[in-house]
Amino acid sequence: MREFKKVTVIGANGAVGSGVSGIFASFGGALVYVVARSKEKAEIAKTKASKSVKASSIEERIVPKTYDDLKFCIEESDLIFESVAENLEIKKEIHETIAKYAKEGTIIGTGTSGLSINELKECYPNYLKKTFFGIHFFNPPYSLTLCELIPTKDNNDKSTLELEEYLEKKLFRKVIKVKDVPAFLGNRIGFRFMNMALEYAYKYQDEGGIDYIDSILGPYTGRNMPPLATVDFVGLDIHKAIVDNIYESIKDDNFKLPEYVNDLVKENKIGLKVNEGLYKKSEDSNLVYDIKTNSYREIQKYNFNFKEKAIEEFKKANYKEGFNYIKNDTSSESKICLTFLLDYIVYAIELSKEISEKIEDADIAMVCGFNWLPPLSLIEVLGGKDEVIKLCCKYLEKKNYKKVFEEIISSKYDYRSFIRAKE
Amino acid sequence: MRDVYVLGGVQTDFERNFKKEGKGVLALLKEVSDDLFEKTIIKEQDVRDLNKKNKIALFIGNFAAEYYINQGHLGPLMTEVNDCFYGVPSARYEAACSSSSVAIDAAITKVKSGDYDVAIVIGFELMKTVNSKVGGDFLGRAALYDVEAKGIEFPFPKLFGKLAEETIKKYNLDEKRYYDNLASISVINYSNAKRNPNAQTRKWFMDKLQANSRGIETNAYVGTLAISDCSQVTDGAACVVFGSEEFLKSKKENLNDYPIVKGYGHRTAPFIFENKIKESKNNNYILPWTRQAVVDAYERANLSVDDIDVFETHDCFTSSEYMAISAFGITEPGQEYEAIESGKIAFDGEKPINPSGGLIGCGHPVGATGARMMLDLYKQVTNQAGEYQIKNVKNAMMLNLGGTATTNYCFIIGKK
Repeated sequence: MREFKKVTVIGANGAVGSGVSGIFASFGGALVYVVARSKEKAEIAKTKASKSVKASSIEERIVPKTYDDLKFCIEESDLIFESVAENLEIKKEIHETIAKYAKEGTIIGTGTSGLSINELKECYPNYLKKTFFGIHFFNPPYSLTLCELIPTKDNNDKSTLELEEYLEKKLFRKVIKVKDVPAFLGNRIGFRFMNMALEYAYKYQDEGGIDYIDSILGPYTGRNMPPLATVDFVGLDIHKAIVDNIYESIKDDNFKLPEYVNDLVKENKIGLKVNEGLYKKSEDSNLVYDIKTNSYREIQKYNFNFKEKAIEEFKKANYKEGFNYIKNDTSSESKICLTFLLDYIVYAIELSKEISEKIEDADIAMVCGFNWLPPLSLIEVLGGKDEVIKLCCKYLEKKNYKKVFEEIISSKYDYRSFIRAKE
Repeated sequence: MRDVYVLGGVQTDFERNFKKEGKGVLALLKEVSDDLFEKTIIKEQDVRDLNKKNKIALFIGNFAAEYYINQGHLGPLMTEVNDCFYGVPSARYEAACSSSSVAIDAAITKVKSGDYDVAIVIGFELMKTVNSKVGGDFLGRAALYDVEAKGIEFPFPKLFGKLAEETIKKYNLDEKRYYDNLASISVINYSNAKRNPNAQTRKWFMDKLQANSRGIETNAYVGTLAISDCSQVTDGAACVVFGSEEFLKSKKENLNDYPIVKGYGHRTAPFIFENKIKESKNNNYILPWTRQAVVDAYERANLSVDDIDVFETHDCFTSSEYMAISAFGITEPGQEYEAIESGKIAFDGEKPINPSGGLIGCGHPVGATGARMMLDLYKQVTNQAGEYQIKNVKNAMMLNLGGTATTNYCFIIGKK
């Protein structure tokens, strides 16, 4: 296995940058130069990095540096990872600097979650293009082990294999190789689901909107947190940046940010980090943004019979029986729930066929990047391929679903741990 | 007396937190029984058929369900999971962290005697229902509570810290070297766990520097040991099934594909830790009853340490694995460091210990641990351990401890 003894992380004080620095210094055992705008920020990056992997001992291997030290860090390093703000101009400037000092053979990675790898590649002379990659980690990388590797046509097989092996075997990442498309595989599937939930909250604002949709798509459907609570957690600004970027490029309406979310972002109500967004916590109450009245109100408790029944079954580990309650119910809520779950499966399959090497990459992406019930094992718990095709014909737009599900294989993941027996 | 075959088993993913999933003991046990029928040769219909002839029984291992989940009378729980268990004799066995070993012992005995053709052992513990301090107090009941645990925060790490101190004293060891050896034990278990898809710590980071940095924020002291020396608080269950030749023949299975139980050892040491040390003052072994349980197992199996290809031991703390090295006979007592420093007990060593990751790496749902160890021995002997398979295993041995090595249980299994 190729050894990477010295690594530089540029933009190391950000959440991803510090988390990834922690991974390089811990599992990677590398000496890591953490580069930030100031010495103070670099020191903070060092602490954040060691905290992120719960091992302060790795601080011995982390060296705080500033942009003034870039020449030294780049010349010294076997691997350089850029993790600065998601802005093409800022990133280009950094990569042009890396191009000036990097020696041939150095692996160079950008951590962009949405910009074009091929465009950034153009910052490099041919001899460095060979070893330039998109390396997309998920946040926090210690618990979310997904790593999307985006090679370009300039990479030779040797360096791609070396990097893949290092990420898998040394850094314990789950690597999937994907094409250079906006937001790659994991975020495309995950953020589409969440953006659709935002749209549905708007559409169903009379029924309650945000907390209504979250109570339909809560943890019992195979995730830690309901989708709109997740948007709040991630930040409405981050969500906006990701879906805007995708929408601009592929014009899929499911990625179009609803206007009310735009307005919240304008008012800096961007979620948990400012304690105000789709939800708002105050000392004595938990509030939710009511789209219809443009104000915050108490979160409501919605009682759906099918959901209660399903959760009762999940408490007894009767997972398929639980999903039968969702499938056999006739309420509009169960219909919304199924529509989301089925759309998630279909989109995951279609997208993975289009941009990754294997259909099961979608499963890896959703488990290791989002900790969500993965699409292929959702098929299983919904009653298998034929049953899911029938459900798709019933709930989703007309399409040749037999063809969509043609090359489906069974999931490597066990669905049971993802399905929560709680609202 | 008949041979007793190990027919296989299953375990839950020890990474899971059932409380976070909103699930309790019935979900845990339902998943175990579903997996048992799906992944082993035991099918639901077998349970029904054998039950008609009164030839099957259940043996439940658990330590402290009364505290953790407010549930006693654990024998009948399986009836609420699957009605094939209606009428099947079932009872709970308890011996602290070696609870499922007592259940295994009872199961083996009943198959050996001819009373039953199949004996299913299920060990479980749900420990994440309470915080670590409260849990630590619950676990204090595995010691003599009033004397050794009452009002003491985290009594067990402290008691096994005393074992560390007494070990240094008894063998006149260099303190730094000894704790460095303990750090190696921790690192070996963590790195072994990375190969085990059911291990609790399979995504966690640990290296020698971190394990040796006792006292830093991320590796705080608990007594004289630190967090890196301790096993985990784990939710989980493990199931292992024993059966007779008649049963295997009725299933048209090849007898040679299944290991048999070759020997066991079961010894009870003085309850209070200080009394253990007092008693062993003039003995070469620091915990002579642990050693005796090993010797008993070897004698019953007519085997010696030379015949054992892989070990699973009770590394509730690094100091207990250190002690186990000489108890197994891998080294002389007082020279355990040799096996650690030479790599003898490492995954690719001559006498690998805990390829599963052990209690430190794989996890320690206390009532499940003995059954989990037995399941891992079965996997090793039948070449089904996947990425953590040790090559050419003919015989495998486990040591499961209850309390401060008060209850000592050993089993050896291997191909006939």
